[in-house]
Amino acid sequence: MNNVKLEQLMNDLAENELSDGTKLSIEMFDGENTVACIKVEDRDEFPIYMTVDEGQILCITYLFSDEEVDPAKRAELAEAMLLMNVMIPLSAFSKIGNQYIMFGALSPRASIDELLHEIELLSDNVLEAIATMSDYLKEAA
Amino acid sequence: MSIFTKLITAIRGGATEAGEAIVDTQAIRILEQELRDSKKALNDAKTGLTSIMAEKMGVDRKVKDLNSKIKEHEGYAIQAMDKGDEALALEVANKIADFEQELNIQQGILDGYDSKVSNLKKVIRQTERNIQAMDREVSVVKTTEKVQKANDLAAAKFSGSNSSLRSATDSLERIKERQQQREDQASAAMELESEENGDDLQARLKSAGIVDSESSGSSVLERLKKQKQSGQ
Repeated sequence: MNNVKLEQLMNDLAENELSDGTKLSIEMFDGENTVACIKVEDRDEFPIYMTVDEGQILCITYLFSDEEVDPAKRAELAEAMLLMNVMIPLSAFSKIGNQYIMFGALSPRASIDELLHEIELLSDNVLEAIATMSDYLKEAA
Repeated sequence: MSIFTKLITAIRGGATEAGEAIVDTQAIRILEQELRDSKKALNDAKTGLTSIMAEKMGVDRKVKDLNSKIKEHEGYAIQAMDKGDEALALEVANKIADFEQELNIQQGILDGYDSKVSNLKKVIRQTERNIQAMDREVSVVKTTEKVQKANDLAAAKFSGSNSSLRSATDSLERIKERQQQREDQASAAMELESEENGDDLQARLKSAGIVDSESSGSSVLERLKKQKQSGQ
């Protein structure tokens, strides 16, 4: 049932674009048909993974891994993320395994416009977050 | 242990393992087993509630029955007294006393059932809430695991063996560069367009005779002549 819902969301998204006309490319990502991968035009590096279950629609983007964090600034990074969390519209920081992520959650009953808004904000927030958090990351090789 | 604590244990357990798996599948299996146990406990509690309610109804009937018997016999006693038959009235009164004693016992049992039923209902509600919460959490953990697998797959596709390509700041730089490029292209295109439009306008003005079609020696001489004439 959730797969049906996910497929329906994917179709709806494919027929739409973001408010500034940016296009989305969407594909089912795994063999089990449970994770959709959404790429915002020109921002392929930070795909958004979308899943649906009874409780929520989850949109997740990976930011960076533990290895990219400057070990001396790890605590500061965590503090900065906690402080920023409330102020970021609709998105929040979290961690999966050794990867820092940014995510947004919606009600499964959310409209397609709400989902598009969520994706747009998440994508913008991710770029903002990485620009801000780069102070705590190792110098790029 | 609360559900959140269990989840943290499950995630931490997985995170320290070698490899990318974040969720300790064993811990998830245990959670799912607990979930099944809770669901079974819930079913048992519901069955228990049904039989207790049935028993309670039986006692309830007895209480009502006794109450009506007491009322009935009170009437008999009064009638016996009205007839002046004290001995019969006493006999009936003794009977009423027996009924009242029994009523006290049954009422006590009934009260006990009442509190049992309300406790059981509370337990069932709580268990249902716990099950819902656990269901949700387990589903989120599983989802997270799938998303991570997807990301690993994407990382492998995207960068192959070159891990530096996956650096967040590098990625951001690339996106910014692309954005800048697009903006540059757009502004260049706009400039070009306006130039073209400008040329076009000039051409149309010329053909309309509003602007001199050619600035030639003869036209300049003509102009100078006119100036000289008007100056005189």
